Amino acid sequence: MSGLNGLMEGRVVLVTGAAAGVGRGVAAAFGSAGAIVGIGVRRPEAAEETAAAVAAAGGTPVILKCDVTDAMQSAAAIEQLIREFGRLDAVVHNAVSGRSSEATDFENTTLDEWEDHASVTVRATWRLAVQAYPHLQKSQGAYLHMSSPAGIEGSERAPFYSAVKAAQRGFVRALAREWGPDHIRVNSVAPLAISPALENMKILEPERVKRIEGLVPLGRLGDPETDIGPPSVFLCSDEARYVTGQTLVVSGGRFTSL
Amino acid sequence: MASSASTLVIGSGSGIGSSIAQRLRSRGDSIIEFAPTLDLTNAEAVGESLRSAVGSGTIDRVVLAAIDPSAFRSAPITSLTEAEWDQAAEYSMRAAFVSLQQAHAVLADGGRVIVLLPTVAATGVAGLVPLCTAVETIRVMAKAVARRWGARSITVNTIEVELAAFLLGDNDASDAEVPMVPVLGQPALPPASAVDDVIGLIDMLATPAAGAITGGLLVADRGTVMQP
Repeated sequence: MSGLNGLMEGRVVLVTGAAAGVGRGVAAAFGSAGAIVGIGVRRPEAAEETAAAVAAAGGTPVILKCDVTDAMQSAAAIEQLIREFGRLDAVVHNAVSGRSSEATDFENTTLDEWEDHASVTVRATWRLAVQAYPHLQKSQGAYLHMSSPAGIEGSERAPFYSAVKAAQRGFVRALAREWGPDHIRVNSVAPLAISPALENMKILEPERVKRIEGLVPLGRLGDPETDIGPPSVFLCSDEARYVTGQTLVVSGGRFTSL
Repeated sequence: MASSASTLVIGSGSGIGSSIAQRLRSRGDSIIEFAPTLDLTNAEAVGESLRSAVGSGTIDRVVLAAIDPSAFRSAPITSLTEAEWDQAAEYSMRAAFVSLQQAHAVLADGGRVIVLLPTVAATGVAGLVPLCTAVETIRVMAKAVARRWGARSITVNTIEVELAAFLLGDNDASDAEVPMVPVLGQPALPPASAVDDVIGLIDMLATPAAGAITGGLLVADRGTVMQP
């Protein structure tokens, strides 16, 4: 990804939920842009592949234990980056509930399931903002959320996932206005990309994956590193210095009306 | 004109929910209201209250206008404690889920669900991050259930009104404090009763001719926020 060369050179970024899927791809893209990449994960031993991808791309990986539902862990992850590198330029909140790919039986489920989604995608979105604020204010940095097309159009199968991803869009619009005077930009990306769940589906239900790909004008699902990563890096870079409060839909044209 | 349909109004304790309930009742509609003190996040209590009110019957329309009052207090997010964030943002999300879930159990096939929200999330408002977050969550939750309940010919639509109209309804004497929302601009149309406007839309959505409208957003704000 030569187009990213130097775009985030010397900048420090925290990517949550970076052990796999879109998080790993985005982390690697920041590596290509020359960033120091804090790889926020619940289990550090699961982050080795991401760290290797960041390093191979030219970045500096730092594995951080960061279960975003634990206020102390996310605070400690940010503090470690400040202690070691003296700055924080961007936070990319990508982590989702471990149940995010499960169907939700809205009519019969309980608030416990809602809490699984909300704790990661709503509460942690707020908490990370509060914890990162003084550092992003100093660097005039960026806060990026990995939202979802489901958070715009609503999903029959995943109503909770849709709702919490929509929460991020409302949060982004309002916080962009609130933090504008501090020159902190707040945006989100709504990606359509290969995920670990879709990788499994490719093996178990290849026809279903083909049907999904058939709905995409560009004829394929996005690659986390080469399709979703670059727009994410762009939104956190100085090249997007006048972009805030936006959701960029990166879906190969699958969603054109959002 | 009075409707013979039974309407459940959730959030009838204040603001536009209260005004709509009063107006529908005064014209002779059959109205079911939740007690203002009911904790809308308590699924058991909400379900029990609904079953008690409905008995063995069903309801035809649900109007949900329930946002916790703390969401309307303007404050930077960095000043909020976790408990304050939860009450201002997440409580209303949970309440919307429980209300929709429990209402569904007593809703007739072909029923109508109308979710009332303020327009703030369309543009975002500094100082009201929790409110904007909750509103967008509830709006898309409504779209998701519109997809789920369509097979029963139930429609689910959202009507958004100006913040002051949502908070006050047609009660000019209310002591509710309306936060400043300077970014939303001026309305294109002259002043009018938002309650009248919303009731007109509720009645329109109840007609058979509106049976194909679901998952939609109708903005009744006199042209203040014109969506792209």
